[in-house]
Amino acid sequence: MSESNSAAMQAFSSVEAVQEAFARENFIADRPLALTVMLAARLEKPILLEGEAGVGKTEVAKVVARVLDTELVRLQCYEGLDAQSTIYEWNYAKQILAIRMAESAPQERAVLERSIFSDEFLLARPLLRAIRDSGGRPVTLLIDEIDRADEEFEAFLLEVLSDYQVTVPEIGTFTAKHRPFVVLTSNRTRELSDALKRRCLYLWIDYPTHAKEREIVMRKVPGIEQALADQIAGLMHTLREVDFYKRPGVAETLDWARALVGLNVSRVDPTTLEETAGCILKYKDDIERLRSIGPAKILSGDAGTNARP
Amino acid sequence: MTAEAANTPVIAELPGDGSNTNLFGRVLEFCRLLKSAGLNVTSGRMVDVFRALNCVEVERRDDFRVALRVNLAASREEEEIFERVFEAFWEGDRGGDSAPVELHLEPSSDDRTPDVPETPPYVRGSPKQYARDEVLRDKDLAAQWPGELSGMKAILRELARRLATRPSRRFRAARRGRRIDLRRSMRKNVRYGMDVVELTRSQRRIRKTRLALLCDVSGSMDVYNPFLLRLMLGLQKGFKNSRTAVFSTRVTEITRALRRQSVHETLAEVGSLAKHWSGGTDIGAALANFNRGILREGSANSTVGIILSDGYDQGDPAIVRREMQALSRRTRAIVWINPLLGTEGYAPVAQGMRSALPYVDYFLPAYDLPTLRALCRTLGEV
Repeated sequence: MSESNSAAMQAFSSVEAVQEAFARENFIADRPLALTVMLAARLEKPILLEGEAGVGKTEVAKVVARVLDTELVRLQCYEGLDAQSTIYEWNYAKQILAIRMAESAPQERAVLERSIFSDEFLLARPLLRAIRDSGGRPVTLLIDEIDRADEEFEAFLLEVLSDYQVTVPEIGTFTAKHRPFVVLTSNRTRELSDALKRRCLYLWIDYPTHAKEREIVMRKVPGIEQALADQIAGLMHTLREVDFYKRPGVAETLDWARALVGLNVSRVDPTTLEETAGCILKYKDDIERLRSIGPAKILSGDAGTNARP
Repeated sequence: MTAEAANTPVIAELPGDGSNTNLFGRVLEFCRLLKSAGLNVTSGRMVDVFRALNCVEVERRDDFRVALRVNLAASREEEEIFERVFEAFWEGDRGGDSAPVELHLEPSSDDRTPDVPETPPYVRGSPKQYARDEVLRDKDLAAQWPGELSGMKAILRELARRLATRPSRRFRAARRGRRIDLRRSMRKNVRYGMDVVELTRSQRRIRKTRLALLCDVSGSMDVYNPFLLRLMLGLQKGFKNSRTAVFSTRVTEITRALRRQSVHETLAEVGSLAKHWSGGTDIGAALANFNRGILREGSANSTVGIILSDGYDQGDPAIVRREMQALSRRTRAIVWINPLLGTEGYAPVAQGMRSALPYVDYFLPAYDLPTLRALCRTLGEV
């Protein structure tokens, strides 16, 4: 076992240790999540977090990176992302400069070729960076919203995650000395391949419970009154029962709480809810929906029985 | 690392007293049970389970459960199945009664447990809600399969070609491209001692259009089903990134089933997935699902929404209107293929159809090859 991994294993030696470390970073990890992080460190397996947008999946990777005090390498996936650009690119401008320089001081062709296709001219992209772990420290690799990438990319990623090596034809193969701590997230807009899932420890993350959300608000929004935090958490719970296009996530909760604190609100009333709805709902249709149900009704904890189509 | 771990005798390392071998056996038995409940339990996963158990306090029931679950379940649905099997299996364990646990996971057609998730998780609301006249049956789809329709393939290929017209951000090599590909030029000219002799060019890739296909399989559409099936299969093959869902009173995504190698496997899987085949219709709810699920992310510019339905609807027209509006914002164009259109005396008067029409860009018939060919010509302009 490499020393760096033992660093991860030390920080994440037990469920309680994970919970404490996360708490120091102002992240409240429930026991299943903490256990999964611990197992990921011990078994050196990637974690696959699935859940609705805005439940804090990405944050897990960020907190892991902070706790382990390692670099966070983030690979944001999108439609049409191709494998090549996630590994490396050559620094063409620099190569051309080098060639021009070589013209004035002629040297053997092979030497020049070797020199301009060397590490110095290589621009490492996320996957290569995660594997090369410069400085001898493993990194935390966040592969965000993998469900957005095409299936071809998923297959390629599978290869990387099983061998932890990538190849640059001109230089050779890089193999990870220390396995990075890998977190994959998916909003589940499509099903991922079974092979990829099999590589990972799977955890579905739900919206936080009322009590947990209140605690998150209390921790993240300085100067908020407990009563207001409690009301906000309760309202978010109700709002998530409404069939909005975009159900508000935890980020929206925090935005809203900060806005309310800024406005010196100590208790949300129907007018405040309507006026600040833009913090919680990001679609015009959704805001109209809220109006048609009636802010007062939401405040009384009723999401409207006809809320679901 | 993995190899090394696989070689360690995991059994011996399990914490606790002599009951270890017992636990080992029980876990194996549990894995087998999960397998029969439909989870993909491989030997690799089982090795990981035992490695995981080494790291947790197995006496803590919740830790034990989560350690097993993160390794064995690979989706939210599987998590739910896992929980149920776990309860049944280890709960029975407590009483000291080692009688084999019986499971009722496979619902028989008339005795369904309503909480078995067969719809994707984005399907909100109780499925019972619209189960009024739902007909759940295991349709023998294969019996309806009339074999390949020659000519359809060619038409769909042509359609795929016509729809792929969006320039992408990515480039590919091309002899007469506008842009000089530095990367390839550099590689190529190394052999001339870095004098630039040949330039490699590239041009923008053409981005493939993504189809989102929502197919009505309710009773009123039944007659056309063989044709529908072929169309769905053909479109799925022709457009790699497309997604297909079928609906009647509920929505089931069948993309994966359509990707199977053999038609017979596909038919068997589609049949078992879409048990509401030939039931009633609720277009509004189906669209709502579609908007929140398949279409929630991804670029609207590259997506064409295709709805195959006769528009006979039992739901609320106001919801149909609202969801059609939402759909039109999530797609580049909406094509409504109505098999009834063109039959004599048909006018789109069905209420669901009427409320949807204002948002439909192309309203077309398709019930056989000639109409499909005409459809393809029109779609080429989308």
